Amino acid sequence: MKKLSKLLLALSFALSVTSSAFAVTAVSWGGAYTESQKLGYGDPTAKKLGIEINWVDYSGGLSEIKAQKEAGKITWDIIDVFAMDTITGCDEGLFVEFDFDKDFPPAPDGTPASKDFFAPMPSKCAVGNILYSWNYAYNTENVKGTPKTIKDFFNTKKFPGKRAIYKSALTNLEIALAADGIKPGKGGAKIYEALESEKGVQRAMDKIKKLCTDPKGGCVFWSAGAQPPELLVSGEVVMATGWNGRFFNAEVGEGAPIKQVWDGQGLDYEYFVLVKGGPNEADAKKALAMMTSTEMLAGSAKYIAYAPWRKSSLKVMEAGEPWYKDGKTNMVPQMPTAPQNTKNFFLVDPIFWADNGTELGEKWEAMKAGL
Amino acid sequence: MSNETKQILTTDGIPLEVSLKKAEKKNKIKAFLLVAPLLLFLIITYIFPIGDMLFRSVDDRMVTNMLPKTYKAMEKWDGKDLPPEEVFEAFYIDYKLLVEQKTFGKLATQLNYEKNGFKSILKKLKRKMKKFENENYKEQIMAVHKRWANVEYWRAIKRRAPDITYAKYLKAMDMFENEDGNISQVSEDRRVHRVLWLRTLEVAFFVTVFCFLMAYPIAHLLATLPMKYSNLLMICVLLPFWTSLLVRTASWMILLQQQGIVNDFFVWIGLVANDNRPEMMYNKTGTYVAMTQILLPFMVLPLYSVMKTISPSLMRAGKSLGGTPFVAFWKIYFPLTIPGIGAGCLLVFILAIGYYITPALVGGASGTLISNQIAFHMKSTLDWSFASAMGLMLLTGVLVVYWVYNKLVGVDNIKLG
Repeated sequence: MKKLSKLLLALSFALSVTSSAFAVTAVSWGGAYTESQKLGYGDPTAKKLGIEINWVDYSGGLSEIKAQKEAGKITWDIIDVFAMDTITGCDEGLFVEFDFDKDFPPAPDGTPASKDFFAPMPSKCAVGNILYSWNYAYNTENVKGTPKTIKDFFNTKKFPGKRAIYKSALTNLEIALAADGIKPGKGGAKIYEALESEKGVQRAMDKIKKLCTDPKGGCVFWSAGAQPPELLVSGEVVMATGWNGRFFNAEVGEGAPIKQVWDGQGLDYEYFVLVKGGPNEADAKKALAMMTSTEMLAGSAKYIAYAPWRKSSLKVMEAGEPWYKDGKTNMVPQMPTAPQNTKNFFLVDPIFWADNGTELGEKWEAMKAGL
Repeated sequence: MSNETKQILTTDGIPLEVSLKKAEKKNKIKAFLLVAPLLLFLIITYIFPIGDMLFRSVDDRMVTNMLPKTYKAMEKWDGKDLPPEEVFEAFYIDYKLLVEQKTFGKLATQLNYEKNGFKSILKKLKRKMKKFENENYKEQIMAVHKRWANVEYWRAIKRRAPDITYAKYLKAMDMFENEDGNISQVSEDRRVHRVLWLRTLEVAFFVTVFCFLMAYPIAHLLATLPMKYSNLLMICVLLPFWTSLLVRTASWMILLQQQGIVNDFFVWIGLVANDNRPEMMYNKTGTYVAMTQILLPFMVLPLYSVMKTISPSLMRAGKSLGGTPFVAFWKIYFPLTIPGIGAGCLLVFILAIGYYITPALVGGASGTLISNQIAFHMKSTLDWSFASAMGLMLLTGVLVVYWVYNKLVGVDNIKLG
């Protein structure tokens, strides 16, 4: 049974392979994000190394790569994944472990790679590419006054109107506690401490429930990243949590009347992993090292408002302002890691979610069912 | 002698019976070879994956094989208080081996399905284990994290002992088997699956009803109008059918939102006040509207193909024999369309029961269906056995509907075209 299943899976994957055997296959989330990766560092790296890099879209999760491995026919080399997935994949032996200082080039001033990263990697298999933010934005035409803090997001008396929040528990619980008066502490440690107890989880759920059942408030749950700016612009909601790059795109790229609020934001990371036993592992490793070098990472920030993982990349951007592709907009203040944006923030904790994701997901759905 | 005379021989001297059988056998093989590709295709794409799914949903040997010594030591433990030193020692030995083989991640994932919080304490144990002294494992392990001193976690390990388990099916019904072997419900704030099952059935049922109510007149019109008009109408039915599902869902979002076109129109004709626009999306209304429209062709087409074959003279005959139009319709026309209704309803219901993109996008808080949960466990938690169990339950549900239909109407009556 098992063998036959492997054979079948192998067959289906063999059929699905259309890329040439010599190219490196990089897998990412598609849309404007993949575009920024391709233009920012994919194409320059490919040109410099003479390696072809094919960009393939996927919708996240480890199920595909796990199925490829079970079938014994791996077709992906590099994958763009969440922190949680790098931990799971690393522990299950799906990805290559790195020696950061040896495998990745130092910063231009000689700082070793591991010291140049914004924060330590969550696992030995992960090399960061961007940091993005779960912040919120509001429609300047539909909101009277200026919301400034995360508390204002929940303040329906002062700012009446519907809110859009993410469909799952991830980051919603943290934001709720930050708005309920818990100081995040260093990197959000206090929030996660509170969420370790049933009482803390209940407190967060109650906060959300109150917002969603408030006749002056109400919730719309979004599932795709393009939704929050769209909901704001159409006037469906007055405030929405979302990914800062998408808000930036609508605000600066398209001139929509929305404004971002950084107070109480959740910083989250995106990583590249190298698949163990991928079709072109050696070339992929070379390409990965180059793509995550200082200059290259800074390149992607030309096209999207996500912060490069290397501190030295910010210096490159500062020196090159205005850095945005339109040649007018300064990019450094738009970065989720900029000092004025990180006065009150938490780091999304992948280990906490790896531990408790399923149970909190169930509680979250049960809460939603009762709305 | 008498026997031989009775036997009829063919020209080459072989008894006719044998010769016939031979020829028949040849034909049978030929026929079988003709259908063999299809049969093989069915086995490979249908029977085999379902079998694999069934097997996955109950197979639980992985954990048992990873912790052989632990389970041996656990046999004597009653599960009431913390296990004795031997269990801790056996666990230490088993786990150490897994760490050396670099397969401990799989154990962490599996145990985390059973009880949340295993992942981090196993990782912590892995780090601290390097400095362990050679005895008193119980104390040393318990010192790593307070959860190791919590009997719940050890019970969770023990629950994974059997090779074959139906725990995933219980979990899909928000139940679990406690250490005494009794089946009980999970705590109230975690009961989510049953809600989702009921919601899935409810959505599928109502969408089927709405589709039927709307498709019947359309199909009737299609079947009775002159060719010139019916062709145009047919295109109107088919065009959306050929359009991408996501495009159609997104268009409904533009139409139905509070600042959307439908609401704008209502305000314009003065039906509703501008500051009191009704919510037609991010609730059940949105789900029903969008799904009904998307699945409508699956009802129209079978109905149409059946109605097309009903001769108009039958209705005329009914009326000429004294029936009112309604009686003629109800006694003659409607029964003749039942095969089409059956096919359409089954099709729509089965498609609706597995739907999730549309409800997720337009359904708001009520937009999560059981298929979203299956996708979540397939993609995010990688708990494929749980996803398999839920998938099979969904399949069983469809088969039950099919069976009920067969009992009530008869499957032979289905007509797709």
